Amino acid sequence: MTIFHFQKAGLQTTIQDKGRIGYQSYGVPVSGVMDKKAAALANELVENTPETPVLEITLLGPTIKIMGDCQIAITGADLSPKVNQQPILLYKTIQLKDGDTLSFGAVKNGCRAYLAIRGNWQIKKWLDSYSALPYSGDAAMPDSLIQKGTTLQVETIPAIAIKNIPKDAQPNFRKRVRIRVLPGPEFEEFSPYTIAYFFSRGYQLTNDSNRMGYRLDATLIDFKPKREVISSGIMPGTIQITSAGQPVILMMDAQTVGGYYRIANVVSADLDKLAQLKPGDEVWFSLVRLEELVD
Amino acid sequence: MIKSIKLYGDQAILINFEQKIDPAINAAVIALKNAIEAATISGITFMIPAYCSLTIGYNPAVIEYEILVKVIKQIAANALDTNDSNPNQQKVRQLKIPVCYELPYALDLKELSETKNLPTEEIISIHTSQTYKVYMLGFMPGFVFMGKIVSKLECNRKVTPRLRVPASSVGIAGFQTGIYPTASPGGWQILGRTPLKIFNPQKENPFLFQAGDEVTFYSITTDEFIKIEKEDNQ
Repeated sequence: MTIFHFQKAGLQTTIQDKGRIGYQSYGVPVSGVMDKKAAALANELVENTPETPVLEITLLGPTIKIMGDCQIAITGADLSPKVNQQPILLYKTIQLKDGDTLSFGAVKNGCRAYLAIRGNWQIKKWLDSYSALPYSGDAAMPDSLIQKGTTLQVETIPAIAIKNIPKDAQPNFRKRVRIRVLPGPEFEEFSPYTIAYFFSRGYQLTNDSNRMGYRLDATLIDFKPKREVISSGIMPGTIQITSAGQPVILMMDAQTVGGYYRIANVVSADLDKLAQLKPGDEVWFSLVRLEELVD
Repeated sequence: MIKSIKLYGDQAILINFEQKIDPAINAAVIALKNAIEAATISGITFMIPAYCSLTIGYNPAVIEYEILVKVIKQIAANALDTNDSNPNQQKVRQLKIPVCYELPYALDLKELSETKNLPTEEIISIHTSQTYKVYMLGFMPGFVFMGKIVSKLECNRKVTPRLRVPASSVGIAGFQTGIYPTASPGGWQILGRTPLKIFNPQKENPFLFQAGDEVTFYSITTDEFIKIEKEDNQ
């Protein structure tokens, strides 16, 4: 058994997996990793099954004291990971020894790093997922919200040969991305001017952007809601326009119903790209049709 | 009754009914959801029933959009046949929920009684005399949206939302009544509290309510509250 003792929690460190799909009718958010591809690569590098949870680390990483030998891998954002103050590589299986300290430093690129630990995680599942619950989290998933003093136990399994992903196969995160969207349910109710404006510019993520949603720094022109939208299903990738005209991209911890106009929906395959944006980074939208999505 | 079926992102469809908050329309939403569930269509990943819409998630690698829409149209034709002899009409669950309308649970009852110029007894009597329909769950895991309350009781949300509404608080807002599943910030006017845990993650079915339920409240004393709360925890 290896014990991970969190001496510092970091800005937002949570345990995540694929999330809880199918419980939205009870108001349970989907949750799950924000960058699916990066999280999957981390588990592959330590030869865990795809269902094994990972730690999702946001911008400011935790400090973890490790008791026991184990293998880990870190993917996604480059948050300058270090073992005993010595920099370590991303996208590579790393052998840790009893007594090592894993810490993080400056944000070099991206927003969210994924830490996979080889073995069987000794944590509780709820509604078929290990993911932290954003609301009433302490009631259902206390172990998945990392706090100072949290300990995580992983039953270690025999070590594997070191693997790595070559530099050219690693994702490259940019501060400005273009995201494909499909028209949302209320798309036709926006004026042509609002629609033209929406696609004509880039948007910076504001500081209150998080796993629930990204608030963008804009007020759409010529937007006068004609009617109240009666609360209806929403999901990660839905782009809502608040009554004040501010676009909000819903992310993995979003509520399940909402009462704002939905202008567009992000193409699922592009959600990973969004996951690595941080406040101040910029997103542009391109309108596509379903028939164009053949990848 | 269905007004439109359209693509919603690349992995969901949205079925819009007449856009109105109305018990009959919501009943049709629930009937369609139940019928789709009963049909166990492979590729459907989730459903979100709301007041007058049903969002259905699907995996495009398993079922194509056009095929899914066709299948759903067929199911809807049967499920939404309101003929009484229709075997698809599902039994509605009736739930009787105890509520203590006394302090310290009835956080806003006194103030509401003053602004509405209605004695507290009358507010309790109005609130307990209606049968409410659970339109949907949302906002957070297990939060129950029910309606409609009689227009005499309709009220705005609190100007300054509370930072912490205790779990199981029963409140009203607009034409709706609802119950907080866990302690959370919230702006509903709190009339009382139920001793029942409406959300218990430890249980196999963590949720007391589901969309489509019919709910009545009955008034209990503080002593009864404490007694029922104890029993519910066992």
